[in-house]
Amino acid sequence: MNKVDFNQLEETLYHEQLPNGLTVYILPKRDFSKTYATFTTKYGSIDNHFVPLGEKEAIQVPDGIAHFLEHKMFEKEKGDIFQEFSKNGASANAFTSFTRTAYLFSATGRIQENVTTLLDFVQSPYFTEQTVEKEKGIIAQEITMYDDQADWRLYFGIIENLYKNHPVKIDIAGTVASIQDITAEHLYTCYHTFYHPSNMALFIVGNVEPDSMMQLVKDNQAAKTFDAPAPIERIFPQEPKEAAVKERILEMGVQKPKLFVGVKPERLDLHGPEMLKHELSAQLAYELLFGRTSDFYHEAYENGWIDESYSFDYSLESGFGYALIGSDTNEPEKLSEEIKKAIHQAVEKWPFGQEDLDRVRRKKIGFFMRALNSPEYIANQFTQYAFNGMNLFDVVPVLEEIEVVDLQNAFASVSAESQQSVFTIKPPENGQA
Amino acid sequence: MFETKTISKGVNVHVNETTQFKTINFSIRFKDRLTEENASARAILANVLQHSNEKYPSHTALRMVLDDLYGTSLYIDTTKRGDDHIISLNVETVNDQYLSEEGVLEKVLNLMYLMLFKPNFENGLFKESIFKREQESIIQRIESVFDDKTRYAQQRLMDMALPGHPASISSNGSIEKVKAVTSEALVSAYRNMLDNNEVDIYVVGDVSPDHITSHIRDYFHFADRQQLPKKQQSQLHTPSKSRVLEFEDMKQGKLHMLFFTPVTFRDEEFPVMQLMNGIFGGYAHSKLFANIREKESMAYYVSSSYASQFGLMFVLAGIDSKLEKKAVSLILEQLEEMKQGHITDVELDQTKALLTNQLKEALDSARGQIDIYDQYKELSETFEPAFLIERWEKVTKEIIAQEARKVSLQMTYFLSGKEDETDE
Repeated sequence: MNKVDFNQLEETLYHEQLPNGLTVYILPKRDFSKTYATFTTKYGSIDNHFVPLGEKEAIQVPDGIAHFLEHKMFEKEKGDIFQEFSKNGASANAFTSFTRTAYLFSATGRIQENVTTLLDFVQSPYFTEQTVEKEKGIIAQEITMYDDQADWRLYFGIIENLYKNHPVKIDIAGTVASIQDITAEHLYTCYHTFYHPSNMALFIVGNVEPDSMMQLVKDNQAAKTFDAPAPIERIFPQEPKEAAVKERILEMGVQKPKLFVGVKPERLDLHGPEMLKHELSAQLAYELLFGRTSDFYHEAYENGWIDESYSFDYSLESGFGYALIGSDTNEPEKLSEEIKKAIHQAVEKWPFGQEDLDRVRRKKIGFFMRALNSPEYIANQFTQYAFNGMNLFDVVPVLEEIEVVDLQNAFASVSAESQQSVFTIKPPENGQA
Repeated sequence: MFETKTISKGVNVHVNETTQFKTINFSIRFKDRLTEENASARAILANVLQHSNEKYPSHTALRMVLDDLYGTSLYIDTTKRGDDHIISLNVETVNDQYLSEEGVLEKVLNLMYLMLFKPNFENGLFKESIFKREQESIIQRIESVFDDKTRYAQQRLMDMALPGHPASISSNGSIEKVKAVTSEALVSAYRNMLDNNEVDIYVVGDVSPDHITSHIRDYFHFADRQQLPKKQQSQLHTPSKSRVLEFEDMKQGKLHMLFFTPVTFRDEEFPVMQLMNGIFGGYAHSKLFANIREKESMAYYVSSSYASQFGLMFVLAGIDSKLEKKAVSLILEQLEEMKQGHITDVELDQTKALLTNQLKEALDSARGQIDIYDQYKELSETFEPAFLIERWEKVTKEIIAQEARKVSLQMTYFLSGKEDETDE
């Protein structure tokens, strides 16, 4: 077992890769009552075109299958796994993102039993045609629920605008129509390909003793047999540099228009430390340009172009990413024009110096320190970073070495006019929403 | 958990000295009576105070100072609990020891002082342009409820079932009353907050209670004030309609059911009702989830919640618009099971375990510690988790069934998307 001390943060991380390929991380937090554990596979909604384990030909699977599989993992021949966690006083859950499926629990006692349940239920698939059919009604209601959520539609709408071919443009849960095609056989194929321990990570943070916990995980894994690890062949289409759709409007039952301006990054091939530096630099640049202390924010808020729903964000994964700036607004045309103008002006003449950088750097370090109070943040963020070859605990040292020129370089990748798009949700034209 | 010191009559400082967190958390809470007028003025007041102050007269200047203080988070918000309306100044700052810089804490305390005692005044009133802008913000915040159909449906249910009751009043007030607030009324709400409200000051972090309390005395001068008089619990009256159906441009049907229970937070049977709600619909092992979702595949979400301040229980479900009647009858069937005492040992044990877990987990965040203590100090000045856990342990199935029999359905509200497809 490897032990890494992060002295300034007063945290110690224990980690080890087991013989079957599973990577295990343990971060003790002794003053906490609770323990939070995530068991995550590097498999999300974008992994819909791949060569199944042990085969030669690539297949394309129905939209929404990773999420469907996540739902079905909880049902076993002997019943529902939620019942099992509840018996041991644990709250369990799961989520599927573009790139990951995570199973998790939090509990303040019986941690060994709960960790064992987590490992065992995710490593024992049980799908039948009957249980798969039964789930379609539940997931159809989930999809319908999201269809009615304007903020959700806005977020996915802008991503769909930005990407022409990449599967990030497909809804994570699929559609009511696409999930009808899912079969138990599909689920087994996806499971065997993506749930191999070598494609997964276990992260345990909280009130645990690292040696005995690592031993428990090792013993649990050694008692199970897996195929030899093999690299997974995923196929992604070519994606043009430009935004696929420049502008799109959706009518929905809202009281006020909502919009996002999105910018697609040019550099989508980054990995590891280079990716971390780029992502942090771009986030700092966007903070300066669109944050609460920016000229843009001041003018937009005072003029009433934005309201309390205003937000901006930059996020990057391997193969896709996006900067998003938007708000509920009664003046969508004016707002999108002003956002684009602010980006354009920064491209023409870079306005920020050392003092600006120092200030937003401090802000970001403070945000990071606050986030380290949260076991959920640590486990989820660490895993997402690790799947991209980055280390969460490098954030502060990398922030400290970033220079103004790094912000400029990162911003240059996420600013060109051709990479921008606008997505607007408006109340129906014919009178009341 | 917290050590309490009274610094003036009606003004208490509660400190939890702990090394659990890398930050120090403050929450200063001003408690007043909840009415629509009061909530409306105080919602604007919270925003105006948060915008800027005398020393940092623009929003930008203030936010730059916060960034420099290692992104210290500072916001002023409004909430409500029972008959009370609460304005909170919440601050979280990184503990100096994790930084290469000292004195951050003193600067943060001084800033909190400026936020509360040195507002951005012009001729004895809050600066007009800021007041107008924030008044508009609160109106937009209230209007935006419509865009979240679950919140909207819940608001419609409450407005129709219990009009004017504190349970139905938003902590943001109402559009009409927000519009009616004048500059003078805002100043008087401000004076009232500082001079007459009950004040609780919470501090959680690696700080010594004596040290921090003496700092607080130095910075904040609060005069003695009267405690809010104990008010008679607002009466619950049976709604005039038992079922309401409304339509909006949407796909899913939102079912919201309102029940009365005679048991509130202050009653002996409060822990029993928590368990009753948990077994019925509070968790993924509950009867509603197991039957309506897992067995019938009718819903993605279906759950119950217990508003203990008023003795209300709600059931919420997202269902196909055609299935309202079926869903209501299945939900009532499960309530009947509760009333008949058809509860297994496993259901009871699971619910006790999860209530316990939830409480202990909530105490793993500074905000959770403050919120829980702020609520429970009324029942126990030295509140510890055992206070509730020991009570849950004693509850039997028979007692739960007995309390379940006192639960009565009052109104069913259904917000539907498709006028032609409902099961009228």
